[in-house]
Amino acid sequence: MHFYELLVELLLMPILAFVIGLAMVLMMRRIGARIQRRVGPPVLQPIYDIIKLYSKETQISHGLMHEIGIIMAVGGFIAAMTLLPVPGMSGLTDKGGAVTLAYMLMIPSLGMALGVGQCANPNGSIGISRALTAMLAYDIPFILVIFGASYVYGTTNLAEMVAIQQQQDVSSWGIVQMPLLALTALLILPATMGKHPFEIYVAPSEIATGPMVEMSGKFMGGLFVMQCFQLYTAGVIFTTLFLGGGVYWITFLPKIFLVVAIPMSVAYLFPRYRTEDVLRLMWKWPMLLGLIGLAVVMK
Amino acid sequence: MNELDKIPVRQELSVAEGNVKRSNPLANVFDELVRFCQSRSMFMLHYCTGCGAIELPPAMTSRFDMERLGIQPMVTPRQADILLITGYVSVKTLKRIILTYEQMPSPKYVIGICSCTVNGGMYWQSYATAKVLKEYLPVDIYIAGCMPRPEAVISGLRDLMGDIKSGRADNWKRYFQNYDHYLGNQQKLFGEDWQTPTDIIAEAEHYGLMTDQTLGEHTALLQKHQQPLEALEFSLGEKREKIQGENPREKNNE
Repeated sequence: MHFYELLVELLLMPILAFVIGLAMVLMMRRIGARIQRRVGPPVLQPIYDIIKLYSKETQISHGLMHEIGIIMAVGGFIAAMTLLPVPGMSGLTDKGGAVTLAYMLMIPSLGMALGVGQCANPNGSIGISRALTAMLAYDIPFILVIFGASYVYGTTNLAEMVAIQQQQDVSSWGIVQMPLLALTALLILPATMGKHPFEIYVAPSEIATGPMVEMSGKFMGGLFVMQCFQLYTAGVIFTTLFLGGGVYWITFLPKIFLVVAIPMSVAYLFPRYRTEDVLRLMWKWPMLLGLIGLAVVMK
Repeated sequence: MNELDKIPVRQELSVAEGNVKRSNPLANVFDELVRFCQSRSMFMLHYCTGCGAIELPPAMTSRFDMERLGIQPMVTPRQADILLITGYVSVKTLKRIILTYEQMPSPKYVIGICSCTVNGGMYWQSYATAKVLKEYLPVDIYIAGCMPRPEAVISGLRDLMGDIKSGRADNWKRYFQNYDHYLGNQQKLFGEDWQTPTDIIAEAEHYGLMTDQTLGEHTALLQKHQQPLEALEFSLGEKREKIQGENPREKNNE
């Protein structure tokens, strides 16, 4: 591939991810509003929020690590974006693969932990310890899913996985080949996105939004940007592994929005699990399903 | 007669700055965009002091749905733009309100809901109630009524949106510009050793909002009594056991 072509792709992929992520945040808030019989926010609301947060005149920083933590959180996702194949662009997908991606997706949480640690707010510390415990809970089923998918396709290269699934019609999609692993991924999807019922680490009325408690202005804006990437990443990974990935934007976009909409529609109906229950639940059902799914595909 | 009573509280100066237009037309467009976004996205911290809080849930939920206007509740002062004070303010509560207000990042707006924040309302004769809120904090908009209906609350918020959009809502600057006035009133109520962790004078210097009204005899009094902030001591083990030992309830359990 030509060098300049790659450079353009590396620039375009995070920007596209951000724009699609904004639409996903809007969709999430609209779904929440409709479930509660409200109208919901206007179309450009996520952009208004982010511009407003970055234009605050007071920017309260608690030290160098606070700022570096947020840069790590957003930067980790921007780096992960170049590893996700989208229609027409593959970026660094051939060089990275699924394993690098799994590592890359842990960086934002660790960055947040560093930044929140510097704030020295007890609510923040409680929140981030819960968030990292939840990460421990959902990462093991997540690795099982990636492992199983790599075994079935015989490669860890995400672009090749898409190519293999596109050879025939729907019957060659991952969701038909390994339904149990797809179900596992669907079960852990709300946890990876940090949504109900696995959002005990945010818990606004108990620990005052946990990790976000000391974030204001541009720091909060960074977290809003991060949320866009988070939703987009969850949608694209599931689509790439199980729903045939994307060859054309016109089929790719409905798939990723559908994947994100499923946990959102269920989310607002449930109260939260406690952290230890998240751990117990994640290590019991999705992991059991994942292991059975792995046994089925390996026979 | 102690020292504090001898110092008169200064009158608040109205600083006619308003909407300063920058010479660069592109900068003007940028300012307009930022003000528009600020008006369309307001995170509110509702400090539910009195009975007015009961009108906020219907304003937020399905019946009147504030999120249509981009108004959402937030839980910490760091994240919030507007501080809603929804009822009578007792002297003790006012201390917390001032602490909260000073921790909010600028630009910040204060909304006083109910008659009690305007003039004390039915608590006019109470010895423990701070009657006129705007003596202690710069209030952007009052929503009068006992209590105002959700329609009135939303109408008031829309007025504030209009003010922010046109650049008129800059009352947060007055707190820095007239700090001596506000601090004087606060000291009259709380005593001369009143202080908050936020260094308002340093912030005023940082934002270039120092006027000759910022410093005065009351701030001199504040600086005389001010104790430097110290980090809380973290301790596990010995000290913790000692504190637990002093707790009578723990003893009974043993």
